[in-house]
Amino acid sequence: MNADARGWRIALVPDALVNPSAADPGAVDVLRTLEACRYGVLQLPPAPAPSLLLAVIADQVAEYAHHGYAVVAVGVHGQPDHGLHWRALAALLRHRGVTPPPRHVLRTDREAAGEGRRLAEFLNSYDLPADEQRRWRG
Amino acid sequence: MDQGGRRKVALVASCLLNQNAKVCEGARYPAMVGPVVEALRRRGYTLQQLPCPELAFAGARRWWAVYEQYDTPAYRAHCRRLAQAIAPLIEQSLRRGDEVILIGLDGSPSTGVRFTSSKPEWGGRPNRPEDDWEIVARRGIWIEELEAELARRGLPPVPATGWALDMGRFDEAGARRDLEQFLDDRVAAAPGKRDDEAVNS
Repeated sequence: MNADARGWRIALVPDALVNPSAADPGAVDVLRTLEACRYGVLQLPPAPAPSLLLAVIADQVAEYAHHGYAVVAVGVHGQPDHGLHWRALAALLRHRGVTPPPRHVLRTDREAAGEGRRLAEFLNSYDLPADEQRRWRG
Repeated sequence: MDQGGRRKVALVASCLLNQNAKVCEGARYPAMVGPVVEALRRRGYTLQQLPCPELAFAGARRWWAVYEQYDTPAYRAHCRRLAQAIAPLIEQSLRRGDEVILIGLDGSPSTGVRFTSSKPEWGGRPNRPEDDWEIVARRGIWIEELEAELARRGLPPVPATGWALDMGRFDEAGARRDLEQFLDDRVAAAPGKRDDEAVNS
């Protein structure tokens, strides 16, 4: 196999941010921002979310959280639970022994450039403590 | 989205949006596979990420494996559970008349579409001297189970291809050419869509 390029950071992202409306071309390009900040994506479905799919996503988050990955959530203002199905997802995560990840909520009613900067600052500022990084990431 | 409200939907392997899902030493990008995302978005596809079957089954720190090692009743049952989790979204799209395609990961024992990795004698201590698996032309196990679940629901096969990430030597330019050819061929071959094309079984 090969040298591994993974970034060790993952963002839970609502469908509405993975697939922004073509009618709003000036909106923050969340996927591009996540890529630039070296975050992989776990896409959350639009409401109503199949409960089994949320459980499957929670299983994946738990696996990451237990093995040295930094997980955050990026929500969107104006959607129920910010598009994150937070009440259901947080309960599923706690059931799996995982503290729900830190959240950042994007405001679509504010100027996009500033929102993009704030999102990048949030993403760049978050990671696991250094000793956890050393333990898992070599 | 066209005038009838139909969308172009690309079902994408989990690791195409999240390289952290890859097996140890298998991630080629820090975050996501940018060329795939770019090619799909440029052509107006919305993205639907599939769950990663290996991560939730064998874990984030799993060894790499071949098709035959994952071809067990327990792993297939796990894949069927994941397929049942995501199938309602796919069914909704197909019954609405959306154009749905699937982009898997060629060479993967789970997510391969055109090709998977095979070595029936692999097993035991993971100390093979080199990557000596073979590439064979068949689906990975997750794709087999996902397609079976869609068929159980009476849905038509979804046109599919794979990003050739796990084929041994990774050739990004070749993988990009393959993907773009697949996407552009679909545009060239598409007849005028009619209102009655939605799945109505």
